[in-house]
Amino acid sequence: MSKLLRTAMLFALLLALHFTVRPLLQWRVAPDFLVIAVLLAAVRVRPGVAALIGFFTGLMADALSPAAFGAAAFSLSVVGFGASWLKAVFFSDNVVLHAFFFFVGKWAFDILFLIVARQHDIFELMTQVVLWSPLAAALTAVTGLLVLMLFRGMLEASPT
Amino acid sequence: MARAVRSGSRVDIAILIVCGLLALLGAVMPLPTRDAIAGALQRTLAAPLLSLQKRSERARSAFVERDRLTASVDSLALRVTALAQLEAENERLRGLLVLGSRLGRNFVTADALHGQGLGDKHTLLLTVGAEGGVKARSAVVTPDGVVGTVAAVNPSTSVAIMWSHPDFRVSAMSADGTTFGIIAPHLGGDSGCEEEDALDCAEPDRFLLELRGVAFRDALKPGTQILSSGLGGVFPRGVAVGTVIGELKTPEPWSRTYMVRPAVRPQDVSNVIVLDPAWTTQNVASHWSSPQSADSAVRMIVGAGDSLRRQAAAAVAARQRALDSIAAALATPVAPALLPGDTAARRIPQATVPIRPMPRARPDTARRPPARRDTTRPRPSP
Repeated sequence: MSKLLRTAMLFALLLALHFTVRPLLQWRVAPDFLVIAVLLAAVRVRPGVAALIGFFTGLMADALSPAAFGAAAFSLSVVGFGASWLKAVFFSDNVVLHAFFFFVGKWAFDILFLIVARQHDIFELMTQVVLWSPLAAALTAVTGLLVLMLFRGMLEASPT
Repeated sequence: MARAVRSGSRVDIAILIVCGLLALLGAVMPLPTRDAIAGALQRTLAAPLLSLQKRSERARSAFVERDRLTASVDSLALRVTALAQLEAENERLRGLLVLGSRLGRNFVTADALHGQGLGDKHTLLLTVGAEGGVKARSAVVTPDGVVGTVAAVNPSTSVAIMWSHPDFRVSAMSADGTTFGIIAPHLGGDSGCEEEDALDCAEPDRFLLELRGVAFRDALKPGTQILSSGLGGVFPRGVAVGTVIGELKTPEPWSRTYMVRPAVRPQDVSNVIVLDPAWTTQNVASHWSSPQSADSAVRMIVGAGDSLRRQAAAAVAARQRALDSIAAALATPVAPALLPGDTAARRIPQATVPIRPMPRARPDTARRPPARRDTTRPRPSP
């Protein structure tokens, strides 16, 4: 099975998890499988492709929550592009670095999303950015590490 | 090579810019357009994701609903547990209503509190005393039958002994009125329980009755209903006492003794009726046996309550008329608003017009003067 196909399967799995686990849990702080999927895909493709992956993934998310239509697409495009661009700078097999990567990716996504969506006043925005987003980013980082450990064999490949 | 890398970077940046602009365009476009695009995506590309999300939310709702249902079932089970007690209490109170409606007068209802102390096992503390019209040696009954007699009367409470008390006796007869005897508690003499220890005697047959002194010629079959005979001046004739279980072998050669299952179980006694001694001359057998639905009894009680309300209104009107006449005599207008209640009476100068307090309505008709006991009339020989 080609590496691309395996990555696509994992991507689809994470996409499905995002739309099943989160509605099931309905936690205030929940892992973001979309960010994990985009980040895992982004580090294996060119920045432009990563931006496209982020855009279309975000478009799917926006389609299911039209109130903030476009916000997820914009945020995931930027996060995907940034992840793909940064991976050439410092991406390695270090676990802590992976966790930091997921953490920063999710936090950046939340900040961009909240700014573009314009659904909160400044106090709610700051509360979300300073309190809830870091917690969600930490949980996403832990979940991302678990995904990496579970599917290490599937993802073993040199970055493009 | 370097040019190719640079050109690739430009393409990537261009793609990012295009993606970003498209996304921002989606964010600022009019709501109907956004909804149309979102709807189209939901029907096509995002349809599987939407289906997954719906199923997850449904599963979540099922979990939440299950928890809620579990809590509901638990609380319902708890309520059902208490419901049996409520049903029993309801039945007892309905029985009291029926009996009260049949008696109509000369009785007092009371809560019966079971004694908790040593030696109090066979006594009841009634929540009504002399102030409520209870008199010593009054009969204590329930809709099921004989409970006991009042032994001591205090102003607001009274103490009754139940039929299981060693001192309890009641003159009894078979339901057809042909066989007479004396009902006494079965003290478990066969199992070595002496009368002086009877208060603490707890054999299973301790809570049975004996019909003693039945003439040897009168044989009673098991299942025969035993009623009070009206002799003795305490219980009226016809109150259910129990049912014959069988004959008890005794050394007495000229009389028979029967074991009787009591009509009232002591543990079931919680609300009782204390009959005024005036009832001792009456035959109340029909009150304990005539079929009458509880609903009609409740209607009668409610009707009685309405008549009491009408009486109270009439009393207020009479008071109004009296005050009006007084005011007319004094040429002092009396404000109608002040009339109801005692405040109007207080407004009128006491020195000039002494107002006698209105006689209070009697709380219960059981305060009526006692009728003569049936000891004065010739008694039929048993």
